Amino acid sequence: MEALFYIFSIIAIFSALMVISVKNPLTSALYIILCFFAIAGFYILLNMQFLAAMQILVYAGAIAVIIVLVIMLLNLAKTKGAIKDFHQIVIGIIAVGLLFLEVILYLNATGEKKPTGIYTNAIINKIGNTQIIGEFLFTKYVFPFEVASVLLLVAVIGAYIFAKK
Amino acid sequence: MNVNDYLIVATIIFCIGAVGVLIRKNLVTIFLSLELMFNAANLGFVAVSEYLNLISGDIFVIFIMVVAAAEAAILLGIAIAFYREKGTINIDDANELKF
Repeated sequence: MEALFYIFSIIAIFSALMVISVKNPLTSALYIILCFFAIAGFYILLNMQFLAAMQILVYAGAIAVIIVLVIMLLNLAKTKGAIKDFHQIVIGIIAVGLLFLEVILYLNATGEKKPTGIYTNAIINKIGNTQIIGEFLFTKYVFPFEVASVLLLVAVIGAYIFAKK
Repeated sequence: MNVNDYLIVATIIFCIGAVGVLIRKNLVTIFLSLELMFNAANLGFVAVSEYLNLISGDIFVIFIMVVAAAEAAILLGIAIAFYREKGTINIDDANELKF
């Protein structure tokens, strides 16, 4: 478990760095698929196999295919020199570095919090991962679920209107 | 593994994505960095939800995935429209505030 965690984190962080540092957008897209797979591995380590499958199907499948398709349509693979000027890089890295430092300080400052729910890993494995998510999704969270379907409809119409000539 | 380790990895990926949004010019690469930030947030939700023995965080991750898919469709539509208008997707050319 421990070794798997380190392997997944090294792959995820390395591929995330490559996404923002390589010049070719197609290479970025391939590296982000690697990062999605590493994060799916984290979900399996966290005992959420359904989310890992969703991660691979939705992110590494659908979204990555859309991105690669757009890169192909727009013929972007030959664009070069896609980084901003020096001042913007320095200010951006310093600002995000400060953000990182603050989050790490916050994580170290907060004390232990006791688990509040009843769904331990043993109970989740006994009922079944997919079944428990489905029960929550169709009872307690049924209104957000319906709103999400409306959101997808709006996105389909919006994308069609934007890309229409 | 401790929950803090997962949160630290999620923070590192989130910060890499934020740097990518700030320093890259290419619209598609900025979109990929946004997806990295979404994924880091998802990882944090799942880690904390597993630690607190809850399911709500996992349900929220599904809704974030829905929003990310909708955002992907919209933003790539905008990329196609912008490329048709300008012949490039360098965001420094998006300086007119009109369509």
